[in-house]
Amino acid sequence: MLKQNGYGIVVFIGVLLAILTVVEYFMGLYHVGATLLMLMAALKAILVLYFFMHVSRLWTAEGDH
Amino acid sequence: MRLTSLGLVRGLIGYAVGLLLGMAVVVVSRLLMGMSVWEAEAAWVGGVFFAVIGFLGGVGALSDWLKWTRGAETPLLHGPPADKPAWTRYFGVDYNHKVIGIQYGVTGLFLLLIGGSLALVFRAELADSGISFLQPGTYNTFLSMHAWVALAAILLGVGGMANYLVPLMIGAADMAFPRLNAFAYWINVPAILTLLLSMLFGWDSGWTAYPPLSLRGPVGYQLVFLSIFSIGLSSILGSLNIIVTMLMMRPKGMSLFRMPIFCWAILATSLIQLTATQLIGQAFLMLSFERTLGMPFFNPLYNAAGENIGGQPLLFQHLFWFYSHPAVYVFVLPGLGIISELLPVFSRKPLFGYRWVALSSLAIALVGFLVWGHHMFTSGYGEYLRVVFMISTLLVAVPTGVKFFSWLGTLWGGRLTFPTPMLFTLGAISVFLIGGLSGPILATTATDLFLHDTYFVVGHFHATIFGGFVFPFFAAIYYWYPKITGRMYDETMGKLHFWLMTPGFWLMSLAQMTAGTMGMRRRIADYDPALGVENVHLLVTIAGFVIAFSILIMIYNLFTSAEIGATAGNNPWRSRSPEWQIPSPAPEHSYARPIAVVGEPYDYGLAGSKYIASMGAGDD
Amino acid sequence: MAAVTTPAHAPLGHAHASHADTPHADHDNFAAQLRMNRLGLWLFFISEAFLFGGLLAARFYLWGGTRPELDQNIGLIVTSMLLVSSISMRIAETAMERGNRKAFSFFILLTAIFGLIFMGGVMVFEWGLFPAIYQGHLTPWGDKYGAIVFAMTGMHALHVISGVAFILIVWNLARKGHFSKERHWGVEACAIYWHYVDVVWIFFYPALYLIGNVAHVTH
Ligand code: HEM
Ligand SMILES: [Cu+2]
Repeated sequence: MLKQNGYGIVVFIGVLLAILTVVEYFMGLYHVGATLLMLMAALKAILVLYFFMHVSRLWTAEGDH
Repeated sequence: MRLTSLGLVRGLIGYAVGLLLGMAVVVVSRLLMGMSVWEAEAAWVGGVFFAVIGFLGGVGALSDWLKWTRGAETPLLHGPPADKPAWTRYFGVDYNHKVIGIQYGVTGLFLLLIGGSLALVFRAELADSGISFLQPGTYNTFLSMHAWVALAAILLGVGGMANYLVPLMIGAADMAFPRLNAFAYWINVPAILTLLLSMLFGWDSGWTAYPPLSLRGPVGYQLVFLSIFSIGLSSILGSLNIIVTMLMMRPKGMSLFRMPIFCWAILATSLIQLTATQLIGQAFLMLSFERTLGMPFFNPLYNAAGENIGGQPLLFQHLFWFYSHPAVYVFVLPGLGIISELLPVFSRKPLFGYRWVALSSLAIALVGFLVWGHHMFTSGYGEYLRVVFMISTLLVAVPTGVKFFSWLGTLWGGRLTFPTPMLFTLGAISVFLIGGLSGPILATTATDLFLHDTYFVVGHFHATIFGGFVFPFFAAIYYWYPKITGRMYDETMGKLHFWLMTPGFWLMSLAQMTAGTMGMRRRIADYDPALGVENVHLLVTIAGFVIAFSILIMIYNLFTSAEIGATAGNNPWRSRSPEWQIPSPAPEHSYARPIAVVGEPYDYGLAGSKYIASMGAGDD
Repeated sequence: MAAVTTPAHAPLGHAHASHADTPHADHDNFAAQLRMNRLGLWLFFISEAFLFGGLLAARFYLWGGTRPELDQNIGLIVTSMLLVSSISMRIAETAMERGNRKAFSFFILLTAIFGLIFMGGVMVFEWGLFPAIYQGHLTPWGDKYGAIVFAMTGMHALHVISGVAFILIVWNLARKGHFSKERHWGVEACAIYWHYVDVVWIFFYPALYLIGNVAHVTH
């Protein structure tokens, strides 16, 4: 599993999100349709939920970060 | 004692100050923007918005949080205030879940009385044909007010049961977030004030507030929108609190499937309240903005070419019912949980199919999200949707049936006793059966096309709500009254209440349904005597008055018994549930030591079985 | 009976220990409270998801396969602003987790600034509140496009503003010495709230700017 808590991973995920956003923008330009765009949004959202909001802390014990 | 030391009084002052301040803000900003200075609707919207905040500030529901923003410590106070009489804690911010539960419950009962009185007024108008004393507009205001006041009463009643009982039942010291709990109660109070204020202006659409009517009517609508929005906020925050409490604060040994069954019902209810409530808040907010700023969400707007560049009224119906259907399960699931909770106690037998009952609550809640379209069969939405929503609606009957079979199975061969709470439990089942059986008739598109917006629907939902909420709520009040007050209610008066109310109710709902099948529309002040419904209406009105009278008996009983009732003892019902193993009235700190669960909750009559360790439970 | 008090359970996660009996019990209490706080906040997110979902539903119901004419550059710029603000927020939180208070203060304030730039972009360009700078063509009351754009961006903006306020409160508390490496629930809550607001925008951006064909409305 990727380590969630370094500065490095934060920047890496940030860059990934930026790239996805650009891809998304061009998907929009080429009219790929609502479904694919919403799936793309869901993918980005999952990245944020997991790496930025560390959702997994909900079910992992406290003290291991 | 100074009057302003009562939170409620400070809240009311805050409300008034906020109202004036908000109006001033609106007036000044209109002045700055060069508009006509006074516009009643805008002024009231601004006023009431600030008034609600003013109330919360005045009562003190925000104080601790504001201190947190400065980093101040805010110790939790326990017990009644040191320098004031003990009763004053009920009229101000108190963090004890039992106090908050009582606040919810009593406010709920109070609203039930107001809502009921409104109904008696317009029922009297309907007792014969012709307009006697209520003009159609006023009639509709009374009717619409009746609905929302009663719904608020139900939400508060549910909140009362959940707040008082859940922490007790799971042996928790309090709720997970006591301040949030107090906030969630207190925001109801300015909301109710606002709702009652709306009567000044009137509003006439019925509780559903469908546009375009609700976009045109008087200013009263705006107050209703804001009021319901606030009550919705209370639902959301309250249910959030309950879910966290239930998931995180259970004692050792109490797995989810060993919780008292009422907790499952509240869990399912809370999941609905947490999520669906947002949609009615949003829908009412959109109505409010459409009225104030002219944002065309729901009203169509045609351009020169005749295209609709504005909104669509059906959007509102979708948003509204996406909450309001699941909301009917918010009204009934807790009550059904009470039924499942009390039956084993009074038949001295295990609850039949505990797991199935627990899961059926969740199933009802989940399927309940997929059925909202059954309120829209005649709305003109896509025809295929009728089929979809008809099938999904009929599916709800399955988990509901599970509950009925569990109740029958629990009663079967039990050693039954019939004190008042048990009577109301059985009454609830009988009434909910009437309501439940009329549901599928309405869920079938072919029949609903005829019955929609008739008194049949009125009969249907009153039976479900009385069977699913009012009767069980009364059962709960009688049942836990000894735990709350330490005294017994008067059994004779309790039985009298039951034997007036139950036949009265059967009569009322069957008569309502009959009127509906005879062609009586709902929400009109007058009807054509040629329909032949006059006698039926008279019956409904009489039954309504009988029910109201019986409820007064209960109120009297509750008040007097608190003084002169016999001392109840810790466990008058010989229940196994943790809250009955502690003294009555329940002490400030409910449990002296943390409890531990060592067995199944409902093994009544099984020799040697124990639910709670070392508290003397489980004898039978 | 006199009012008694129990120790304050450090609401936003203050540095100094509360007055529980033993350090051990104190740690347990804090951990339990932290777990509850987290669950509570996430439940709140779930609840709010229904609000934003409802707005999205309204957008698809009224607009279907069309969308208003919006400046694509603005869309990209404000979206990137929120993205970089999320990155700096995550860096701020990591800094606090490592006890680097200086970096924390810097990055959390940076987050607020990005947030304010986002708000500025929304107000000036999307809403056209300052016609002297930019002439917007949508009004809330003009048609369904204006109505929904204002509803969605308005509800989102409300959350951005509250997020900025939250940031300022937390920043100020940290400045006054609150929070520690181990105990900083206030920081964590503020951070994930901010990211949540970003997640909402992740869905709103395509819904407003990318999905459907541009409709040219005549009034
Ligand atoms: C047992 C399964 C149920 C079914 C199949 C069912 C079905 C229906 C249907 C189809 C309607 C729409 C009738 C119309 O307007 O033409 C309706 C209305 C209504 N039902 Fe139910 N229902 C059920 C249970 C409940 C429950 C448990 C409640 C709880 C309180 C409830 C409360 C209502 C209300 C309040 C309305 C009227 C709403 C309005 O138009 O103002 N129903 N029901
Ligand atoms: Cu329904």
